[in-house]
Amino acid sequence: MPEELHNRKPSRRRFLQVAGGGAAAGLSATWWYTGPHEAGLRATVFVGKADRYDGPLADLLRRALAELGWGPERVRGRRVLLKPNLVEPDRSRAHVNTHPLLVRAAAETFLRLGAAQVIVAEGAGHVRDSLFVLEESGLAEVLLEDRIPFLDLNTDVFFAAPNRGRRTKLKTLALPLALRQADLIVSMPKLKTHHWTGVTLSMKNLFGVMPGNVYGWPKNVFHQEGIHESIVDICATVAPQLAIVDGIVGMEGDGPIMGTARRAGVIVLGANLPAVDATCARLMGVDPLKIPYLRAASGWLGPIRENHIAQRGESWRALRQSFQLLDFIPAQRGIRLAA
Amino acid sequence: MAIEPGRALEILRERRQPDGGFGSRPSLAAEAGSTAWAAFALVACGAPREDVRSSLAWLAHRQLADGRIPLAPDQPDVIWPTPVVMLAWLAAGSDADRLRKAAQFLLSHTGRHQPRESDSPVGHDTSLRGWPWVLGTHSWVTPTSLCVLALCRAGYRSHPRIAEAVRMLRDRQLPGGGWNYGNTTVFGQSLRPLPDTTGVALCALAGLADRATVEPSLGYLERILTRIRTPLSLGWGLLGLASWDVRPAAADAWIEETLQREAHFGPYETSSLAVLLLAARSPGGLTGRKEG
Repeated sequence: MPEELHNRKPSRRRFLQVAGGGAAAGLSATWWYTGPHEAGLRATVFVGKADRYDGPLADLLRRALAELGWGPERVRGRRVLLKPNLVEPDRSRAHVNTHPLLVRAAAETFLRLGAAQVIVAEGAGHVRDSLFVLEESGLAEVLLEDRIPFLDLNTDVFFAAPNRGRRTKLKTLALPLALRQADLIVSMPKLKTHHWTGVTLSMKNLFGVMPGNVYGWPKNVFHQEGIHESIVDICATVAPQLAIVDGIVGMEGDGPIMGTARRAGVIVLGANLPAVDATCARLMGVDPLKIPYLRAASGWLGPIRENHIAQRGESWRALRQSFQLLDFIPAQRGIRLAA
Repeated sequence: MAIEPGRALEILRERRQPDGGFGSRPSLAAEAGSTAWAAFALVACGAPREDVRSSLAWLAHRQLADGRIPLAPDQPDVIWPTPVVMLAWLAAGSDADRLRKAAQFLLSHTGRHQPRESDSPVGHDTSLRGWPWVLGTHSWVTPTSLCVLALCRAGYRSHPRIAEAVRMLRDRQLPGGGWNYGNTTVFGQSLRPLPDTTGVALCALAGLADRATVEPSLGYLERILTRIRTPLSLGWGLLGLASWDVRPAAADAWIEETLQREAHFGPYETSSLAVLLLAARSPGGLTGRKEG
């Protein structure tokens, strides 16, 4: 499947579909079609050290955004939608969900930069009761204190958007209206290994914007269509403008739920999601070129090769870890990044 | 009783749109799932048939020729509202012909299944047929449970598909009790239960499985409901327990507390609110053994 997926060269028509999204595609200002070898396709990714959630995260995020060229002019007056990764309700396993204090720091950062509104939105993939997940993750308390609204994307009104990826057979994707109403969509995943896709980061996190009312729990339509293909389609169609990855404590092994906590001490930001995810994979000791959906995105949705990604903040090499990969999980076999 | 009938009816009526439809939240476009749950709850809360006539007609208008009632006209494969509409029609004593067509649709469709393989990473029996959320996908716990509830009420209790669905639900019960969306183990690790799916599965199995089979699941709900104050999980949890003649002493207080918390969270999703009101007004569960 990986090769098959990778070798499906983007057609001229597909290029026009993506390019037609223009700013809406949000794939960074330097984006243009260059073919599978990424020639000319570049992106910038920030890696910052953060050892704890109760540290000055908002300061770090402001510095990161400044390094990425995101000043007040980019945010002022905009409606910002933060999409954390809220997977399962379990107070005892804080490494499952994006940490509430990072979400708080992101909201504070965008509001200080002049955002007109910040909302947090999620459509959990396994759990219909989004409020229950919100409560158990600890995020409900933070949002209530900060008066940040929460929206359940599983039950929002939806609209049909043309599928800009067309890696699956789906001609359109049903998307929550909230995505259309937002000016800036920010994917906020957890740094995790995954038992079906090798890793789950800012691109896979977008499964959570797809409405469960239309796709079910789990969102099995996308499993039937191919998880890797679906990730690419959703990312190309939703086209978030930014990713902020919670890698302070991530998850290794049998993720995205049953794995074990892994303290990585990083947050990673960038406007190009494949580049962010490729950098995160390297931080985890995973070769992004061996992750099918990243290979499929390479040269089209973004660059994933190291020499095509401009690094800001810390060097990923200095912070690289070897997240546990399990041999009995096919998606995690043979994906280790060479030393 | 925590919720007086008049108050429950008022909570739901406030969300009804002029054409009888309900959206997932006030002011959002109506769709079949929310309308079906609201109509069902209205009837269960004692609304006269005249009061729900427009909602029942709204649902009837959305029924396709083959009997299904999809979520929206442009999503014909999203069939999960069909059993909920049946429950509303059954409660209101609606058109038998429409009910029969909906039942026949469900009985002639299933999820995508494959033979169980010894080296499969998932622990459940993938060959056992229930019902999916969306045509062309696998069978999962909630839609299967809803179909069992609706079809049994519609008179198909002895149908072979019900027997197979009961086997499927039993197979999907987690080793330690409870159900989640429908996976038991993946790569050898047991997954965790959820209160809403456990509740709906217990409702479906009431009268179709022996108590010993579900005892661990009842225990799970009794433990976890003490700290749950969200409408969907608490509502289904209480309905699931009630189906097996268990009603926590504090249930009414929990329901009231949950309703009060809407002021913090903003308007609850309509079907979640309807389930909570069903739990409030049906202390005997959806089987109606102790209708309040």
